Amino acid sequence: MTAKAKNKEKRIGLFVCHCGVNIAGVVDVEKVAQVLKDYPGVTFSTDYVYMCSDPGQQMIIDTIKEKHLDGIIVAACSPTLHEKTFQEAARLAGLNPYQIEIANIREQDSWVHTDKEKATKKAVKIVKSHVAKARLNENLEPIKVDVNRRALVIGGGVSGLQAALDIADHGYEVIVVEKNPSIGGKMIQLSETFPTLDCSQCILTPKMVEVSRHPRIKLLTYHEVDSISGFVGNFKVRIRKKPRYVDETLCNLCNECEKVCPQVVPDEFNMGLSYRKAIYMPFPQAIPGTFTLDAEHCLGLNPVRCGKCKDVCEKKAIDYDMKETIVEEEVGAVVVATGYDLYTMQSLGEYGGEKYEDVVNGLEFERILSASGPTGGTIRRPSDGKIPKSVVFVQCSGSRDTEKHLPYCSKICCMYTAKHAMMYRHRVPDGQATVFYIDVRTGGKSFDEFYVRTIEEDKVLYLRGKVSKIFKEGDKLIVWGVDTLTGKKVEVEADMVVLAMAMVKADGVQDLLRKLKIATDIHGFLAEAHPKLRPVESLNAGFYLAGCAHGPKDIPETVAQASAAAAKVGNLFAQKELLHEPTVVPVNDELCSGCGICITMCPYVARSLDPARGVVVVNEILCEGCGACAAACPSGAAQQRNQTDNQIFSMLRAMLRE
Amino acid sequence: MRVKLKSGRDQRKFIERIEELSGENVFACYQCGRCSAGCPVASEMDLLPNQIIRLVQMGLEEEALRSKTLFLCASCFTCESRCPKGIDMARVMEAVRHILDPKGRDAFGPGEVSPEVARDVPQQVLVSLFRKFSK
Amino acid sequence: MKIHYYPGCTLKQKTTALDISTREAMKRLDIELVEPEGWSCCGAEYPLTEEKIVGLAAPIRVLRQVRDEGGDVLVTTCSFCFAVLKRADKAVRDDPLKRKRINAFLRDDIKIDPLTKEKSTNFEDYNGEVQVLHLLEYLRDRVGYPKIREKLKRDLKSLPVAPYYGCRMLRPQEEMAVDNPDSPRLFEEFLEAVGCAAVDYPFKQECCGSYLSVSLPAAATEASYRVLRSARMNGAKAVAVTCPLCFYNMDHRQDAIKETFLDFPGLPVVFFTQVLAWALGVDKSVLGLGEHRVPADGVFGETPATEVRT
Repeated sequence: MTAKAKNKEKRIGLFVCHCGVNIAGVVDVEKVAQVLKDYPGVTFSTDYVYMCSDPGQQMIIDTIKEKHLDGIIVAACSPTLHEKTFQEAARLAGLNPYQIEIANIREQDSWVHTDKEKATKKAVKIVKSHVAKARLNENLEPIKVDVNRRALVIGGGVSGLQAALDIADHGYEVIVVEKNPSIGGKMIQLSETFPTLDCSQCILTPKMVEVSRHPRIKLLTYHEVDSISGFVGNFKVRIRKKPRYVDETLCNLCNECEKVCPQVVPDEFNMGLSYRKAIYMPFPQAIPGTFTLDAEHCLGLNPVRCGKCKDVCEKKAIDYDMKETIVEEEVGAVVVATGYDLYTMQSLGEYGGEKYEDVVNGLEFERILSASGPTGGTIRRPSDGKIPKSVVFVQCSGSRDTEKHLPYCSKICCMYTAKHAMMYRHRVPDGQATVFYIDVRTGGKSFDEFYVRTIEEDKVLYLRGKVSKIFKEGDKLIVWGVDTLTGKKVEVEADMVVLAMAMVKADGVQDLLRKLKIATDIHGFLAEAHPKLRPVESLNAGFYLAGCAHGPKDIPETVAQASAAAAKVGNLFAQKELLHEPTVVPVNDELCSGCGICITMCPYVARSLDPARGVVVVNEILCEGCGACAAACPSGAAQQRNQTDNQIFSMLRAMLRE
Repeated sequence: MRVKLKSGRDQRKFIERIEELSGENVFACYQCGRCSAGCPVASEMDLLPNQIIRLVQMGLEEEALRSKTLFLCASCFTCESRCPKGIDMARVMEAVRHILDPKGRDAFGPGEVSPEVARDVPQQVLVSLFRKFSK
Repeated sequence: MKIHYYPGCTLKQKTTALDISTREAMKRLDIELVEPEGWSCCGAEYPLTEEKIVGLAAPIRVLRQVRDEGGDVLVTTCSFCFAVLKRADKAVRDDPLKRKRINAFLRDDIKIDPLTKEKSTNFEDYNGEVQVLHLLEYLRDRVGYPKIREKLKRDLKSLPVAPYYGCRMLRPQEEMAVDNPDSPRLFEEFLEAVGCAAVDYPFKQECCGSYLSVSLPAAATEASYRVLRSARMNGAKAVAVTCPLCFYNMDHRQDAIKETFLDFPGLPVVFFTQVLAWALGVDKSVLGLGEHRVPADGVFGETPATEVRT
């Protein structure tokens, strides 16, 4: 035994859990409790069926009090499940929660081995190592952290707007950052929404206006988040304000600049189906209501090559000298609501790639349907403006493909395809709509009833089969599909084809997410902390998720999730102060030589050199206790609280001794 | 007519043999029908390619082996190149044909080719044709 | 440059046009074609079941011979042979059991020394040492289009030619690994390099009917018709193929196609090597045009061979 922290021996209680048969089925738990009864430091040793149950916890509380225990080992499942439970039980009994040790004999033993004898021996070793550690554990107090009760919402689509409104209505200040000239996201591009056939703009613009007028919401459009530093409750955000070259407070939307601008650019709001000028307003209900000068497509600002827009601006709102500036804000929580994009048609060579103008994706069709779209709401096909008399809708384009494209289901396509087919049939009553599907997924409220209307009232033909090839022959698009229900290969001549392209991660957001170190899944969607129980929080504390940035979902779900994220932010802000785990790695000044190796190891940028004293200092609030610095420190000056080098070596000795 | 599906070992035997021979997981097929949609010969077949693999999934050996479809496959691999689950349908077809071999079915053998045709065609046709369709 | 070349049985008998034009074209590019000694038919079909390993014997034998003659690349022009050789080679490389079994089987084979013509039976296992390339790949990667352009002697004046890939060259993509089956570029780039305009049409990789032209002629007639019709509709003056079977189905059987589909006036079918040879200045008489049933004179017109300005 090396130097002990205390002079007297600890009084440790050992509780070995059966976990039903999860542990007891492989490990002889009674034997473990028996063997450890006389181990140095162990005062009390027992086994029990379910330690996490009420009686189990009560047993701990009672035993602590009766036997005056100052250390507890619970040999059970992984600490990620119940460490907090037992820490709380200890606290109720008057024992410092950091004197609790969880010996994992389930995930690390009974669940991965089948040899009972060896598994039991292993369990004994595991428990012994924790006893060795527990003998050196100290009482610790959580570190208190202030919370800045302001929130940042990244993304001004329906999910971001909903979250912002809910947080603001709670009474907190919210900053909404949107990289486009206007808020509205993808929803503002839609024509009608299922299953109600509400006009999308009509239901979204009130929210947009509310956000712009809310006393507690600061709306930053044409801004982009550059970086976020800090930690939960205390974030510092660096935001880039892109130059609009138009003063939004002065612009009166007279449209004169647009008339004289010589530069014509494909209009991204209309999915490239029409044109806009270099100085433009994305759509009539844009918020803020101002023009924006797209420098990339302007003839030139430095030096000024044209200058016509500035000449005609009666409000003198145009200023070519605007520069990008940096805005810095401090917030306590961040809601990431960066939305989605559609899978590129170029990947589907068998459908012509992007060769055929009349093969469009869902968003393009929305613009064609929209009264404010490129065709004024008349359904016309892009190539020649003809009204299509035969439209084929192809579901699962790129989705549910484990081989070359995306293995997941994009969730909304079945419903919006039914909506598209229905809208088409309403507007072109003598037209024929054919939908090729593999399944039709209509899980939401009133969804199936809506889909049934499409077939029974609007007489849309649903053929069960995945389209193999689409190609152009003369004026028509030939679609090669199959009806697996009758076992017939079918060929359809269409005037237009609408592909339900898969929903994918938003373009251009990857870099930001990586910079923010937010966890994403293999498809680039935001990773939730737990798929079932924590769907709106990120594992990165202080970050919340909402909308399609998290995964494909429809508007009702998006709104629900956004409100849920806002509620979680509310949980955070409702706390007087945050408690940070004290198992951090402080610096022993006397041993520290100022070599700085630990600084390079720290992923949380928690350590820095104090130039005056020549030693390293640590910001305990930033430190997450990962231990990388402690492992790297050559002098032993970096020792993690309750996981010192000494403790680790004593654990090893306990395990290796026989 | 109600088809009585075999149960247990019997049902699995046929499926396992097909999987062993073809190297494909027939249960990965979710019957989207894309193989049939792109097959150049499907309109001449009595059962579509996706129906053949469906019969395999259901263990309906006799019906699969009876079909004319097996001997209409041109091994063009269009099915394989388009399947969203990565199943090589041509291999599954060949596996089913392979099971027929010991039963001695000669769907298209040398006897079916006239001397004129034999003289006219490039020999690779006859080699490949007989390898596929004759015992 | 010397390169091992596998013509395949059909090229030596029924479809000599593909062989002759290949040789003539390669001569102009200073490439000497060496046939592996004692080569035999590749078998035409790569065995698709895990148990028909004997089907690997013929192609592996050929590859082993190439290796023993010091070659590490084998070039072929017939897509059928290409598919069999390439897939057999990959199977032997990737699957240790197949490799073991086929080598054990072939150990009893007889080896002929190309120089001394001596026979022996001493073989080393074949482990996938030879790379199998289609001539189109070889031209793009090893010879290079700039070199080909240098040697062009005829200006084909952007003659619109439809490249026909067929099935075997591109599929299955994982094993053939030549190009994307649904949006390939290899053949188009070749045609452009020799001075043609490559026609884009949706049937360039659809099956011509393959061996069904013997067992179910109606299916092959329709399949080939669809290819030819699509090529024609998109402005092609000829279809370029790389397989004797595709050639047979689309050229030799064009009469049958015309009889069934009265709207089809006809379209010449040529081999890509004939186009290459012609562009390199080879005389019409050695392109094997006599084997065509549909006259291809429209393609190989009266243009005399001259120096082409780049």
